[in-house]
Amino acid sequence: MLEFETMAKNMYAWDDEKGLFIPFSSTMRAVKSEISKLNSVSKEMVIERLKDDFNCDDISFCYNWLKKWEKIHVPDYKSQIPKEIDKSEIKSYLFAHCLSQLSLCTTEDCNFRCRYCSFSDFYEYNRGYSDKYMDFDTAKKAIDYFISLLNEGKKYNPIRKPALGFYGGEPLLNFGLIKKCIEYIESIYNDYEIIYTITTNGSMLDKKRANWLMEHDFIIFVSLDGPEDEHDRLRIYENGKGSFRDVIKNVTRIIRKGYKEIYCMPVFDWKSDLFKREEFFNRNDIPSVARIALVNNIEGCRYYEQFTEKDYSAFLGQLERARSCYYKDLNLQRGKEKLSFFDKLVGLDPGEDLFKSVSIYIQPLIMPFTGACIPGRKLFVDVYGNYHACERVNSSFPIGNVNDGLNFEKISKLIVGYLRSMDKCPSCKVSRKCTYCYQNFMTDNGFSPSSTVCENIESIKKASFARSFNIAEIYPEFVEESNYKHKNIKKYYGDDRNVFQT
Amino acid sequence: MYFRLNPECYLIRGERCGAIFDLIDTKIYALNQQETKLVTACEKNDPISGDEKLLNELKQLCLGNFYPNKIYVQKLRVGSRENKYNPLNPIEPPDLHRAFLEINNSCNRDCWFCGYHGIKRSLGCMGCNKWKENGSALSIEKWKIVIDGLRDLRCRDIFITGGDLTLAWDNTLEILDYASRKFSNIYTILHQQSISSEKLDNLDNMSKVIVQTDDLNGAQYENLLMLLVVEPGRGGDTNSLKRKNIMKDYIIGNRKFLSNNRVLTSKNKIMPVNMYKFLDNIEYHPCLGHTLAICHNGNVTPCPLMRRHKFGNVRNSEIYTVFEKEWRSIYEFWGLNLDKIDRCTGCEFRYACTDCRALEENLTGKLDGKRLCSYNPKEGEWY
Repeated sequence: MLEFETMAKNMYAWDDEKGLFIPFSSTMRAVKSEISKLNSVSKEMVIERLKDDFNCDDISFCYNWLKKWEKIHVPDYKSQIPKEIDKSEIKSYLFAHCLSQLSLCTTEDCNFRCRYCSFSDFYEYNRGYSDKYMDFDTAKKAIDYFISLLNEGKKYNPIRKPALGFYGGEPLLNFGLIKKCIEYIESIYNDYEIIYTITTNGSMLDKKRANWLMEHDFIIFVSLDGPEDEHDRLRIYENGKGSFRDVIKNVTRIIRKGYKEIYCMPVFDWKSDLFKREEFFNRNDIPSVARIALVNNIEGCRYYEQFTEKDYSAFLGQLERARSCYYKDLNLQRGKEKLSFFDKLVGLDPGEDLFKSVSIYIQPLIMPFTGACIPGRKLFVDVYGNYHACERVNSSFPIGNVNDGLNFEKISKLIVGYLRSMDKCPSCKVSRKCTYCYQNFMTDNGFSPSSTVCENIESIKKASFARSFNIAEIYPEFVEESNYKHKNIKKYYGDDRNVFQT
Repeated sequence: MYFRLNPECYLIRGERCGAIFDLIDTKIYALNQQETKLVTACEKNDPISGDEKLLNELKQLCLGNFYPNKIYVQKLRVGSRENKYNPLNPIEPPDLHRAFLEINNSCNRDCWFCGYHGIKRSLGCMGCNKWKENGSALSIEKWKIVIDGLRDLRCRDIFITGGDLTLAWDNTLEILDYASRKFSNIYTILHQQSISSEKLDNLDNMSKVIVQTDDLNGAQYENLLMLLVVEPGRGGDTNSLKRKNIMKDYIIGNRKFLSNNRVLTSKNKIMPVNMYKFLDNIEYHPCLGHTLAICHNGNVTPCPLMRRHKFGNVRNSEIYTVFEKEWRSIYEFWGLNLDKIDRCTGCEFRYACTDCRALEENLTGKLDGKRLCSYNPKEGEWY
């Protein structure tokens, strides 16, 4: 168990076997230790051994409770790492639980040269820029194959609502292809309810293109980083000119039309002004924030070499101030109509720390560790027609192509190779909390071992758990309310006071 | 000083009283109004003031503990919490646990308790019934396709029911043989008068058997699960039945004769629940949730007794297409948890109740009606 303590001096432990937090104490630790030394040790024996150091009532309670807790049986999945995986097993899992999205990389070309771009020289294992465009024949084959998989998978999962995403480079550089794909789907597969998405830098979202996307109910994700100086520091055209004014003009036009399905996906680094961004994204004329991301520090990334220790400290200071500011008035945060930058930066952390993991149940045995998907949950198609697990995985691990379809042999090898590198996971004390996946470990020809990549993960998580429980102790409703069952459970607890009063 | 219930102990509040659900030891502790107020205050992290007798008792029972500071106790949960969970816009397949396959609607008997006569029984879904309905039964080949479809949907339990399944015994065996190669948990329902040692031998290793009977003395099959029709006042001391494998299938009479002290309306209807069932009941109906029935004529309904509600028919299509087209309607039934039933929403026992929507709808005329309960959550009293 991973123990931690909050500012109020309360002790807790994360029980990774069951995937649950428990209140903890020094008595509990001592009793647990006695029980683990001797399997059939009686309560009386434990009391006898510990009575000089602990209260007998507490020893008795801890003994009873630990024995009760042991009754929750969780299969030992950590010792069952698959050495090989049958193709049919992958296929069957894929049909039932995957195929949620087909992403087409319409082009590797981009009119921007964002300083942090994952296709820049900063990323050793990612592809570079190119002027390659996907042709319709490739896209059509990918769509046909995806729909054929959905058809085949219907009997295993008849209620799945899939998405088709357009990605780049800058996908709107190949707008003609996007139009052709949608027209093709609407003419051939119009009985399918497909959600369309596009991830764009926003510079080419002129009136004509935007209207067309809105007419087809696209969910539009724009890479808008913040106010002008913040955005232009990182998101620039090939000629080095800032892109903010062009992007905001296009985004504003869409917002003014009352279109709701447009969201921002800002990226930040250690020199970003977090408070300026919060102010910016709180504005009503700016779309909600769908997801934020710190510049990806994956294997082979050299982006952070440009920063100093001082930069990092300053960033951490800013982050801490953001937390203080955000948690100062949670009633205000809850009452907001749209999600802001800080909601994503710090607001979701406690809820995710406390609830984002699988309890009691075990992960599928074909992927017992980390947060990695079974390749095929999403299908990313590059401009050449190769399939990849997602847009963030480098091109060294293709899992098929539009001509031959998915290669289950390759998927199996990919999973087995990945799991072989997860050497730390069986003994990791926070394995059920892991959100890492392929991209965090991948190199050009394999995966770095988790013992290297995750060296400090337990201490990082421990600090994060303590922070989250500090919030939960004072504002329990805030961390719980995102649980959809919460309202039913807490009915009739009484609303006679403000739940956020400290 | 503070007191908090343990992670495995949920306080569920009703309008007046509350109950503590221990999800590991599967026990329910009913609290009176005063006790409820005290435990609620503790669960809201209010400091303890006054009498600690009850709280000490709770500690002795290993339900909670004292703490020097305000703490946060994460409650035991199972599975994961999906952000912005929307069951109508899912990625995962439908979670189908139980399917009833009514493979025929023929019977030569004329049992007084049969659904054919409009008789309502508390476990009518599990027992045999004949219905005044048109339409021929699906062919054996069609039933095999249905079974394949249920297997693909990862259905867990299959109930094979009729009609009298022994009238076309070879057909029944063929279907069972096929099903047993796809499912490990199969139940077959037979009338007591139809069974014989030979037939039971035929079923060996293929299916568990549930025997429907109204003959108290005839429940001689020690190893079988008996479904005993019981009509209070019709004679026979069913209370003396100690065997664990006898389920009582109560006759529900005319609504005006329903007294409040009957088994179906008394606190006997509250069953201790484990963590899986309790947490599931917060979201789903305790019986309709994760359940479907495929009637003899191919109609797909929420349960064998709710025949007016039809999601589709599998005579000319496969079972997955019913989910595909009618998932929203199916989820309306599955998701009809007791928070959505007017009379239950204020009850502290709502996540441990053996509510039967088919009977309640039949008695009240409303899908969300409630007649079979003698608990008044406003007063916190059983009548």
